[in-house]
Amino acid sequence: MTEGKVVEQKIVEPEYLFFEAKREPRFITGSEAVREAIKRANVDLAISYPITPQSESMHLVGYIYAQGYLKDYYRGEDELGVMSAVAGASMGGVRVFTATGGPGTLRAFEMFPTWAGARLPIVCAFFCRGINSPLTIQPDTIEIGFMLDTGMLIFHVETAQDLFDMLLKAFIIAEEPDVHLPIGVFADGFFITHTRELVEIPPEDIKLPPYDPYKSPMPVMDMETPPVRQMRDPFVMKSNFISYAAHASWQQEVRAAGERARKHINKYLGGLLETENEDADILIIASGTAVSQSREAIIRANREGISVGLVKVKVLRPFPCQEIKTITRKAKVIIIPEFNIIGWLAREVSSVIEDNSRVVGAPRVFGGMTMPPELILDEIKKQRFLLANK
Amino acid sequence: MSVDIIKISPGFEEIMPEDYRDLVNNGSYGKGFSVSELGTFKELIEEHPLCAGCGLALSLRFILASLPDPEDTVIVGTTGCNSLAEAQVAIHNIHSIFGNQNAVATGLKRALEIRFPGRTKDVVVMAGDGGVGDIGLGTTMHSWLRGEKFTTIMFDNEAYANTGGQESGMSCEGTVLNMAPTGKKFPKIPLPEIARDAGCVYTAVVTPSNPKRLGKMVRQAILIARELGPSYIQIYCPCPTNYKFKPSESIKRAKEKEKDGSYPVREYFSPKAKEFVERLEKRVNETG
Amino acid sequence: MQKVDYPVLAGPEGYLPPSAASMGVVLPDKGEALVEGKIVTEEEAMEVIADKLLSAKNPTFFPGPLILWAWNEKAVEKAKAVKELAEVVGAKIIPMPDYRPKYPMINYREEINPNHPNLTIWHNKIDTCVFVGVHCHYANVALKIIRGGTNCYTIALCGEYGHEDAMITLRDVQAREVRRLTEAIKRVKTEREDGR
Repeated sequence: MTEGKVVEQKIVEPEYLFFEAKREPRFITGSEAVREAIKRANVDLAISYPITPQSESMHLVGYIYAQGYLKDYYRGEDELGVMSAVAGASMGGVRVFTATGGPGTLRAFEMFPTWAGARLPIVCAFFCRGINSPLTIQPDTIEIGFMLDTGMLIFHVETAQDLFDMLLKAFIIAEEPDVHLPIGVFADGFFITHTRELVEIPPEDIKLPPYDPYKSPMPVMDMETPPVRQMRDPFVMKSNFISYAAHASWQQEVRAAGERARKHINKYLGGLLETENEDADILIIASGTAVSQSREAIIRANREGISVGLVKVKVLRPFPCQEIKTITRKAKVIIIPEFNIIGWLAREVSSVIEDNSRVVGAPRVFGGMTMPPELILDEIKKQRFLLANK
Repeated sequence: MSVDIIKISPGFEEIMPEDYRDLVNNGSYGKGFSVSELGTFKELIEEHPLCAGCGLALSLRFILASLPDPEDTVIVGTTGCNSLAEAQVAIHNIHSIFGNQNAVATGLKRALEIRFPGRTKDVVVMAGDGGVGDIGLGTTMHSWLRGEKFTTIMFDNEAYANTGGQESGMSCEGTVLNMAPTGKKFPKIPLPEIARDAGCVYTAVVTPSNPKRLGKMVRQAILIARELGPSYIQIYCPCPTNYKFKPSESIKRAKEKEKDGSYPVREYFSPKAKEFVERLEKRVNETG
Repeated sequence: MQKVDYPVLAGPEGYLPPSAASMGVVLPDKGEALVEGKIVTEEEAMEVIADKLLSAKNPTFFPGPLILWAWNEKAVEKAKAVKELAEVVGAKIIPMPDYRPKYPMINYREEINPNHPNLTIWHNKIDTCVFVGVHCHYANVALKIIRGGTNCYTIALCGEYGHEDAMITLRDVQAREVRRLTEAIKRVKTEREDGR
């Protein structure tokens, strides 16, 4: 499994790696796409812990560490320990990577707002699976609903290609000095991690520039930068006996950093969302693999002469409020298929658009159930019928 | 550290507050001070909010005076009284969430190894009994089991002091504390012995009643951790506020507990650590 | 014409004002600057800075750890340039030596701290201030608190991408840009003296 020695890699500008380098198609799984991304990401340290369906990705990161692509790697004792160690390493000034999903996300949960508040540019992959009780290892995006307000930035991939590209771009966006926030790159478990697709990959002899901890908006903890009398992060509430305004302002700054990310996301991801046929009466808004299923349903709808638009939401935090508000102006019905029981995407969209009575939070499947395109097509036809008979 | 991060930019010396000028002129960076020199130099800790008679605050001052290389040490504390004092220390330090200090220290140590290979960068955990022994027991033990090369120092005030004096795993059996209204029902956690068996190559249990002894153990623990493996020091820190005795009696209490066997001072060395310390002492004796 | 929904003006704005970024104010690109929420050129911003500093009753510079400490040559050079700039303006200098929650309290006569910048501003009656050499996170926290509770006009000379919570911000400010600003101020000063 560790065949092949490390290839001598040249540091290139991020724009070159993302947009210009010649790419070759490889027929790989999502887990393998993670390996390929991290191989080119100039990551210093990765820490792992087993949980299905994320384990394979981190096995592969371990193998490339053994080959020499990472400087250090180990398996931690549990997700809280892993996410804490990742925080310590980031404060020490290195680029880190880790992954988890489902119950693992919840086990480590206190660390996510902590990372954001501590302005740590950590990239963490989340391979979504169901939350207990009862247990399921199968795909379910309910955890995204819990993660939305942690202060972390949230990307949701549709394909293994997205996963490859978004992981790499996440490092660069996270490390921008005016952002400097952790980014969760979410992929639906099994659908992405364990299925194969063609992924266009640039050569393996190039990698991203290294992380520069001295561009951080907070001092790195290495006794090489001032001020020395510095704790990350202290009880600011205790300053001058009470300083709740400082705590509130700190929270505001974390959210502001998320807003600042929009510019960088537009530059590197080409926008927080993508649209097709957005002027149609019937619009589907989806994220993750629900987008893929929607595409298939739209092809079938088109064959029957039904015009349906598609909005693929790539970034959930910061949320593309203005974009969605504008795009949905003309739509008569907005169908939002999701792989979770909460309907967090329907809730997000409903809270930013005018006249949210147009929102249809269906179909929704969860616990590992698949979402056949027929289900979405049925919903399209039902809504079309309702519109015609209003 | 490049000692220049503790040098004031030319032209700004006059406007820097006095305590910083003092730190630059009389601080302990790179000077090799020990507990014996306390009182002759500007200490690393500034004014802090801990109580009068606090054993933790006293121990912290002794520890800071004993660091072999304060200019290349990073501290990791956790939520509790320790982090209220550590925020005022002139050494980089991290406070993350309650109990994760040994995991944070693991990541930090490995990061500093990557960025400064071959250079001294000591990581020292300084945290309370709640953080190290209860909520953080998992991260503590696993950092020991993995052999992570840093020192863990526990300020053992035998309670959750900062939250109002609740029973902790390190409280003695029978002690009446908050959340233990009829007395603690199980014995004090034998953490030093667990540390020894979990991979700590040097373990020490001590009180601040003898500053030089504490200083020597701290220095030793850090030098050993640099080369050989994890070290653990457990310091009995009397807490007048929660155990309800006069602040002036802290040291007396510490001495009593040493004497009556309820907090016996002891050390455990792995064979390699023993060798290392003997070589160290030999070198010290030779150079006088 | 750039639409400004949220002009970033001197306060006191209120109990807990929103961050400028959350109100849609975007940081400038290279070569640009922000003045009261509007994107302008660096040169235009420098003119406004000169005007504000020279009209101020009690202009004060708040240098932070990144230039107070001689941790590398660039820091020393920048510190020197800032000192000269402050002298040309005739401004006081009050340092921000660190960011820690100060205990028991800060001495507002001799320092400013990002947890209570308002205390230093109020007690010293500072009407215009300049932030330079402060780590961005702490500068932003301080600038918001100042805008909320004081009427001080804030100017940020940022080494990275700028601060939208200040009334005026430049970006990519190193020693060279500080010196350019000093020249601009000298020129405006002369123009004023000549009655132009």
